[in-house]
Amino acid sequence: MPERWSDYLSILMGALAVGYIVYEIDRRRRKLHDVWDVLGGEDAELTIGLVSMVESGELQPYAGSALS
Amino acid sequence: MARSPRASGTSRRPRAETGTRREAVGSRPTEAPPRTVAARRRQVPAQSPALEEDAGWEEARVIEPAADAEQSTRPATAGPRFQIFIIDAGWDSPAHRVLHRNFGLLRDLQRGEPIYVLSREKSIEFIRRHASSLLGKDPIIAVHDLEALGASGTAGFHGFRLHLGLLSTEQQALLALQAFSRFLNAHRQSLDLEAEIRRNLRREGMIGAIEIILHHEPREIGG
Repeated sequence: MPERWSDYLSILMGALAVGYIVYEIDRRRRKLHDVWDVLGGEDAELTIGLVSMVESGELQPYAGSALS
Repeated sequence: MARSPRASGTSRRPRAETGTRREAVGSRPTEAPPRTVAARRRQVPAQSPALEEDAGWEEARVIEPAADAEQSTRPATAGPRFQIFIIDAGWDSPAHRVLHRNFGLLRDLQRGEPIYVLSREKSIEFIRRHASSLLGKDPIIAVHDLEALGASGTAGFHGFRLHLGLLSTEQQALLALQAFSRFLNAHRQSLDLEAEIRRNLRREGMIGAIEIILHHEPREIGG
């Protein structure tokens, strides 16, 4: 059991530091998950839309070296 | 950066194993002729010069493993693995500028994989009709894994998307593009692409958590 108020303060500061690190890791990981999205069953409609555009000839492989 | 240890049961095959398999195949007497043109010339001295112009095409055929060889990895000559789509409605954002400046290099690095670019009008129509949740996240680079699509269709994992529009600086967008290109080139033969995406791009797991703090690339992109 801590005897002095400084010990309580150290424990509190340590807990805040750990909490901040955990928060920061979680925030950055959520950002990464937003940036890199894995396609699954819920994205089927989008995938089918794109694939159908390719199969119908509406989209062709891009031959240019720069975007217009 | 320390590489994350391979999880047990990972299905990514190391390159040495592929080379070893090919060497073992080549050592058996009934196997396909040697891979190099020089070795074949030694074996077939009577080959006419006119046939040498087909040597390149024949060499491509020779590289393929024998039919009875164990097919446990994706052959390198199996054709394109990915379909790449670029959806960009045209927001004047750092990511839009970075993509336009670096598209030529990106295309050169992904030769062999078809890249489909939706025009501004097509992109707007596509987002409005199919994907209003993607509004503001473009430019988007969508990658379809043709192997996964062929195996299980769209019901399960079948690719991934890079939402460049969520990145607020040019530095972040450039890092993401570089990571994207590096990932596609490094994992073209991967058997478990989803696991690679979750480990190397999304930094899931305990090792990923450490890398988020210690490695500059996920730290910058996620910042």
